[in-house]
Amino acid sequence: MPDECCGPGYASPAAAMQAPREKLLYTIAIYVGTGIEKPDYLATIDADPDSATYSKVISRLEMPGIGDELHHMGWNACSSCHDDAEMERKFLIVPGVRSSNLHIVDCATDPRNPKLHKIIDGAEIKAATNLSAPHTVHCLRSDIIISMLGDAQGNPPGGFLHLDKDFNILGRWENDLGGMKFNYDFWYQPRHNVMVSSEWAGPNTFMPGFDLEEVGHLKYGRELHFWDFEKKAVKETFYLGEDGLVPLEVRFHHDPDSSHGFVGAALSSNIIHWWKDDGDWKWEKVIDVSNEKHPEWPIPLPGMITVILLSMDDKYLYFCNWLHGDIRQYDISDPHNPVLTGQVWMGGLLGKAPLVNGHKITGGPQMIQLSLDGKRLYVTTSLFSTWDNQFYPEIRENGGCMVMVNCDTENGGMDIDEDFFVDFGKEPNGPSRCHETRYPGGDCTSDIFL
Amino acid sequence: MTGAVTITIANRGGASFLVDPKKPLLASLEAQGVSLPYGCKYGGCITCAAKLLHGEIDQQAAVALNNKQLRDGYVLLCVARPKSDCTLDVGVDSHDKLYRNPFAEPLKQDELKADIATQPEETR
Ligand code: FES
Repeated sequence: MPDECCGPGYASPAAAMQAPREKLLYTIAIYVGTGIEKPDYLATIDADPDSATYSKVISRLEMPGIGDELHHMGWNACSSCHDDAEMERKFLIVPGVRSSNLHIVDCATDPRNPKLHKIIDGAEIKAATNLSAPHTVHCLRSDIIISMLGDAQGNPPGGFLHLDKDFNILGRWENDLGGMKFNYDFWYQPRHNVMVSSEWAGPNTFMPGFDLEEVGHLKYGRELHFWDFEKKAVKETFYLGEDGLVPLEVRFHHDPDSSHGFVGAALSSNIIHWWKDDGDWKWEKVIDVSNEKHPEWPIPLPGMITVILLSMDDKYLYFCNWLHGDIRQYDISDPHNPVLTGQVWMGGLLGKAPLVNGHKITGGPQMIQLSLDGKRLYVTTSLFSTWDNQFYPEIRENGGCMVMVNCDTENGGMDIDEDFFVDFGKEPNGPSRCHETRYPGGDCTSDIFL
Repeated sequence: MTGAVTITIANRGGASFLVDPKKPLLASLEAQGVSLPYGCKYGGCITCAAKLLHGEIDQQAAVALNNKQLRDGYVLLCVARPKSDCTLDVGVDSHDKLYRNPFAEPLKQDELKADIATQPEETR
């Protein structure tokens, strides 16, 4: 059925799955922590198998400053304003976690060669809102909300920055943080008037690197917050305890009627599922990745689930164990009982897959992005500069990389594509590290349906 | 400059600079054309860490360093003020001991950051 609206995105998740295949990928790449005194940049990668430059970086947009640590990013508009012809998915908002600068990048004028449109200075954000360390960007109609992980001095809990559609700072979005101790990722489901937010740690804790002992001293999060979205207030907080240490990526079902969602607890290496039951929010642990013993280390190694993602049809859940080195696919048709349907290995600290299709992998599977039709999963290897330096110090010389995993959407199963490999170790300014990926037409972690 | 001290950067050919001891080293050195990595500029992120080889430094605001990193000689240039002439290694080349895999080499109680570290039993 032809689309009647002319706003951005898609009328429904099912319509999104019919969209044309992604031909370009935008991926951030960093030099922070590498010793190379160059700005971080947004890399544009050719993902069109019929193109001569397939699987290559075709343009690089350098940020104006050095030391931003680009990390996550989000669109100015998504399917949440599909019915608004005035809106256009044109700009990527690309925050620097360390600098707190927000880079607004025009990806629509020349999609193969994005250009910087505007910068919101981190100092201005700190002065206006006493917030720093921007992380997740979501839009909702004309509003843009960004989770901020600390106050201007890097202390938790941070809060949420509110921008208007022209990227003016409106102030802090939230009215009441409740007892929230830390901030990280968030997602909302407007038909249930709910937003769920998770907890990493204060910038002063996670920026210098990870220490296990600090988890025990309650410097890292273990709670999940359910918000009254309209009132912009935390309504209910779940203490996840040992099952939910360091809950990171938050994903609701794409189906706007569904109340089901999932969060990956990085350190516990569990998947937590929540849903609404008779008006009450409930949670349960549905996947538990066992720690693995490393022959030479005194402490068992957790998988470290640093990312999770749901396919557009909400049938599959994907996640990565960044330290073990595996990517997993679960059928979540019954969200209470996920079934493991696929698993592939790349890199990691257990030595299971140092080479993939002849390419050396430094780091482990980290950020993932799935095509709208659910068939191609793009995977990058770097997590965060200081954490990379702790766990995978060779990444300084080797750089990060991107692989593509082909996903069987009928029967389940995955395999790593032999033809697609982007080596960030060979970048013109020296080895860089790649993290989050987005597509011009929207993807499985950006679009929210009203 | 009254009371100026000399900062020598060992791993940049021993270049030396006269600086004001009341100002953070990052600001003083950058003003004299030394290019150094930095992030937060308030002692919270260790991007600007350098290794102190000789001399004395005041860095009370260096909250991001744990006691092990402090004992290994690390200073955060964005908040470090020299109390004497100092010799430093700077940049990522000086970070050999800054990062550890915590599962391979966990910290001892007295090696944690100052706000959560405890002294070992026998020395309490
Ligand atoms: S710049 Fe962040 S600690 Fe110095």
